Amino acid sequence: MEVHTENYMGGGSPIRCLEAIRRDIPISLHGVGLSLGSAEGLDQAHLDRIWQVAERIEPDLMSEHISWSVSGATYLADLLPLPMTEEALAVVCRHVDQVQSTLGRRILVENPSTYMQFRHSTIPEWEFMAAVAARTACGILCDVNNIYVSAKNHGWDPSAYLAALPSDAIGEIHLAGHSARQLADDGTLRIDDHGSCVIGEVWSLYETALRRFGPVPTLIEWDQNVPPLEVLIEEARHADTLIDAVSDKVRRADAA
Amino acid sequence: MPTLLEVQTAMRRDLLDDGDAAVAATLGDALAPADRLTIYRNTSRTALTNALRLNFPAVQRLVGEDFFAAAADAFITREPPQTAWLDLYGESFPEFLQSFEPAASLTYLPDVARLERAVCHALHAVDAEPLEYSQLVDIEPPVHGRLCFTSHPSVSLVFSPYPVDTIWRAVLTRDDAVLAAIDHSTGAVWLLVERRAGEIEVAQLDERRWKFAEALFTGQPLSAALAVADDPNAAAWLAAHLAAGHFSDFALSDAENPSFAAEHAQ
Repeated sequence: MEVHTENYMGGGSPIRCLEAIRRDIPISLHGVGLSLGSAEGLDQAHLDRIWQVAERIEPDLMSEHISWSVSGATYLADLLPLPMTEEALAVVCRHVDQVQSTLGRRILVENPSTYMQFRHSTIPEWEFMAAVAARTACGILCDVNNIYVSAKNHGWDPSAYLAALPSDAIGEIHLAGHSARQLADDGTLRIDDHGSCVIGEVWSLYETALRRFGPVPTLIEWDQNVPPLEVLIEEARHADTLIDAVSDKVRRADAA
Repeated sequence: MPTLLEVQTAMRRDLLDDGDAAVAATLGDALAPADRLTIYRNTSRTALTNALRLNFPAVQRLVGEDFFAAAADAFITREPPQTAWLDLYGESFPEFLQSFEPAASLTYLPDVARLERAVCHALHAVDAEPLEYSQLVDIEPPVHGRLCFTSHPSVSLVFSPYPVDTIWRAVLTRDDAVLAAIDHSTGAVWLLVERRAGEIEVAQLDERRWKFAEALFTGQPLSAALAVADDPNAAAWLAAHLAAGHFSDFALSDAENPSFAAEHAQ
């Protein structure tokens, strides 16, 4: 079961419920507030709170995002895009090192969905992701929907993006639905809003990802316009079917 | 080429309403830079407004969704959160509402917000072991007056000249009959808010008992709290605080300088 780390930082019932669930089900702590890309450094108090949750929950997986959300000691409550530069890469790697040494464990970092690019970016995003994993020995949480959304928004090839990620670093996959918005100039921008079913093209990309990365734990994110439970279960079942197909192939290959 | 710090500072200013379009100039997208920034701004505003809604649900029901959204927007611009832990965001929202001109006619609104702030603290305060009687048995009676307590993180006190607890309950249970019948001139309430076994409790105290609790919770020595209470029942009140787990620690004040330990017990 995956939860947002930020929802369990206080005391009382929420963290106690999670401790109880944790006895039976492995937990993934997925943070949204650490701001790995902040030029001004990590918020030590926030990192300490994450450490405290991890101490109580002993999660199987922990993850954060390749983005930033803190500037001038202000939390901006969104996963904001980084310029893809050597400077930003060095900042992110320094912070991933800091987090991994504080927590005493490996974390996963998730590729973002972005709606704009900076003129001075010099590193393709897929190379940026691979470089963070290579330099810090962290894993990658591959959000297949984010790859599709960003690729459509910026004219990248989503298959080439997947192919550039280091297979052995992939520790988890995210899927989600997204929406499309008209821009003032008649262009279209895809928005990762977790409010609808996973679209066909993203399922196809997911199959490609599974073939390349093997059967990886997968989460379907849906937190706006949450549908009846049956719809969610059907989405999860479809993902399971695709994972099983890949697992069968892996087993057959092992047997051979 | 702008540094990462320059990009982030410009974007923060843009998201918080005092930008000068410096970000737009750094974008490689020729098309609709303002639209692209607006997407991030909207997501940020929605997330922070929702955090305030969750922390101040009764305030929102009292003023309506649109009014609340406008008040939240003004508050977010003025006092954006300083941490990514949003469960306690809006610490100064009650004081903001006090000075928010459009809400001036709802005189009790800031006090409802103060009660909700206390409830929010009770809900999300970190866990702490309560102080047990057994930890005090070695304290000799002659020095009891120098005992200074640390209140449990989930416990707090609220005073209002309005019956805000009745208003708060009626609003959250959507009890329009009770709400319509509330007489705002019934007088002041002295409230103790706490989390007990995971549930939130809001209890009315009488004025002396509340002031005794306030003295103890702010770390004043027991002798000073007893003087404030000036009531023969104060010893029983203290026992009730201990039994309810309202303290998490204690210290002994310096006999010569009682305020010393009080400061350190805060």
